[in-house]
Amino acid sequence: MSTTHPRSDRIDEKPRFARVSLSKGLTTVGASTVLLFLVSAVVEPASVSFTSLSGMLPVAAVLAIAGLGQMLVVQQGGIDLSVAGGISLAVVMVTHIPNGNGSLLVPAIALALAFAVVAGLLSGVLIAALGLNPIIATLGTNAVLYGVNLAISSGRPRTTTDLLARIGGGSTLGIPNSVFFAVAALIVVAVFVKRTVAGRRFEAIGANRRMARAAGLRIRLHQSLAYVWAQLLYCLAGILIAGITSMPSAYAGDNYLLPSIAAVVLGGTSLLGGRGFALPTVIAAVFLQQLIQFVSVLGVSSAISPLVQAAALAVGISLYTLNWGAILTPFTTRSTPAAAPA
Amino acid sequence: MTPRSTIVIGSIAAAVALVGGCSSSSQNAAPAVRDAAAPQQIPSWCGPKPIKFGLLDGNGGNSWRLVATATGMEETAKCPSVKSFRYADGQGNTLKAISDIKGMVAAGVDAMVVFPDAGKAVLPALTAAHQEGVVTVPYRVDPGGQAGVNYDEWIGDDFANDAHNWAAWIKKNVPKGANILFLGGPAGSSQSTTEYEALAGDLGSDYRFIGQTPFQPTNWDPTLTQQLLTADIAKYPKIDVIVSDFGPTLVSALPLFTKSGRPIPALATSDGNSLSCFWADSQKSDPFKMITVATGNDNVRLAIQHAVALATGGRPPAEKAFKGPVFEDSTDPAKPVQCRHDLPPDTYLSATMPGDQQAKLDG
Repeated sequence: MSTTHPRSDRIDEKPRFARVSLSKGLTTVGASTVLLFLVSAVVEPASVSFTSLSGMLPVAAVLAIAGLGQMLVVQQGGIDLSVAGGISLAVVMVTHIPNGNGSLLVPAIALALAFAVVAGLLSGVLIAALGLNPIIATLGTNAVLYGVNLAISSGRPRTTTDLLARIGGGSTLGIPNSVFFAVAALIVVAVFVKRTVAGRRFEAIGANRRMARAAGLRIRLHQSLAYVWAQLLYCLAGILIAGITSMPSAYAGDNYLLPSIAAVVLGGTSLLGGRGFALPTVIAAVFLQQLIQFVSVLGVSSAISPLVQAAALAVGISLYTLNWGAILTPFTTRSTPAAAPA
Repeated sequence: MTPRSTIVIGSIAAAVALVGGCSSSSQNAAPAVRDAAAPQQIPSWCGPKPIKFGLLDGNGGNSWRLVATATGMEETAKCPSVKSFRYADGQGNTLKAISDIKGMVAAGVDAMVVFPDAGKAVLPALTAAHQEGVVTVPYRVDPGGQAGVNYDEWIGDDFANDAHNWAAWIKKNVPKGANILFLGGPAGSSQSTTEYEALAGDLGSDYRFIGQTPFQPTNWDPTLTQQLLTADIAKYPKIDVIVSDFGPTLVSALPLFTKSGRPIPALATSDGNSLSCFWADSQKSDPFKMITVATGNDNVRLAIQHAVALATGGRPPAEKAFKGPVFEDSTDPAKPVQCRHDLPPDTYLSATMPGDQQAKLDG
């Protein structure tokens, strides 16, 4: 997989003020989201009612957190197909182990986090150290995670503890608590990537691996750790699902694979690696979820949901990855008379 | 280590990881059924010919199937002629489900009962097994084809009967017409479609189905149900009745009505301990009416009786479809709602297998 990106190799050449300028992803997805809410309010006001938003926001928050994890992997030029397994395992652990007993919730969360670290290391070592294709390696990790999931749960869901339901599924000042968790995850990821030495190295490696190697950065370590950070975020997403849904499915993570990638791409992070855009990724998650909620309220067929996600992925890729100037050049230059043959 | 050897070792590691994950529940070999047998009373469907038996799930990773599988083992244990019991789970993967059917034939089973989740996609595999001389009995989901040609017998669940029970209850308890929201399974589910058609046929024009028809697909997933219901609550100011063919998925979603300052609608659905306990817990603050039909874990018993009878030379039962009775009716003292707080929420008290026994099935 290529390690460079047309935009990404210039990150450190920009003057300081450019760092606070709006990225293309932020302006595009931000404007699209505002437009979507306006259209929703005009066409179907119920889709932006308090009830509708109270159903949409918790799911969007979970997707945003999963998207942030996926973004960290994607900006290293990888892709993580173990999103579903990671989220589902966390769901099972924090519901099955306590089995209604709130005093066991903290140990269950600790164990879920430990498994997340192990799963992340498994993917990271397979990809960064042994050179496996990320699709194959994370697919394998996903299978392992589901194996552990079934070994623990036999596919049987358990009821969420009251404590987790209050924390993850409750609301504060009318805002679902899961939104606060998503904002906290966003701040942590953004500060880590943009404001710490390790984070700048992490992004530099994603932007240009050759340059990073020449600079003596520990490429394998950072690439491996990307999968660990991602799994920890998937784990948080799973814990929140367990709080939001009183008796979640043991396969609750299955619904987040494609949307998590779509959120990353719509947010402007290149699938070829490079800079990561945390805030646009979170906004893209809200955009995707509100779009699905909007069409649900409209009463459109449920088939529209995967179509929306696939279309968002296609639009994101075409907007940020394709060189439209080069593609359109033949059409725009056709009117110029060609030199006559001698 | 050379780059090539690194790649080889890595590939092997990934393959091991893949195989390890995939095989974890693919062949849960059952314990010897003989230990649990009750030899004192041999049922009429159990003939004298010794057989090897296989039970196959298309998608076995949920509590309903776990109970159904244990129920199947319990049923085969009643027949001493069943010398071995094998189980395979397609894990929601159609190709694996097909491979499992072929694998059972190769393993030499004499009779198999199959939950054909993938419907017609597994019909060729069922037909091949039937033609190989294996007694093949799909159950619950209609795989298409014909009994005697593509398989020996199909033992369905009379889903229309469930819908007739719901419709009669709705007309009795909401007599002046109602807005009905029908939450079904995956899009295209033959079960949900059959139920809708029977409901629409029984209920007159005073009863209006709101939302998508024939049903709103929820995949029987609680999170998705919750999400879809918020959209429905926002859109429809008046929802009088919710019909759902898998009641426990509603437990997370129903509190949304209370949060929105609206009463919980009357509920016509299938049973589950979590739902029954939610009903019981809501009686003081947000009471609502509810009817449940038996969720049908015992459908597998009838299918096994047919398969074993045909393979061992026993007498097959006369019934060829499972009829789930009304299990709970909050308006009928003769059928009270049954909540057992001491049992797991995913226990089905309508099943013949006692709830305490179901609770011990956890893997």
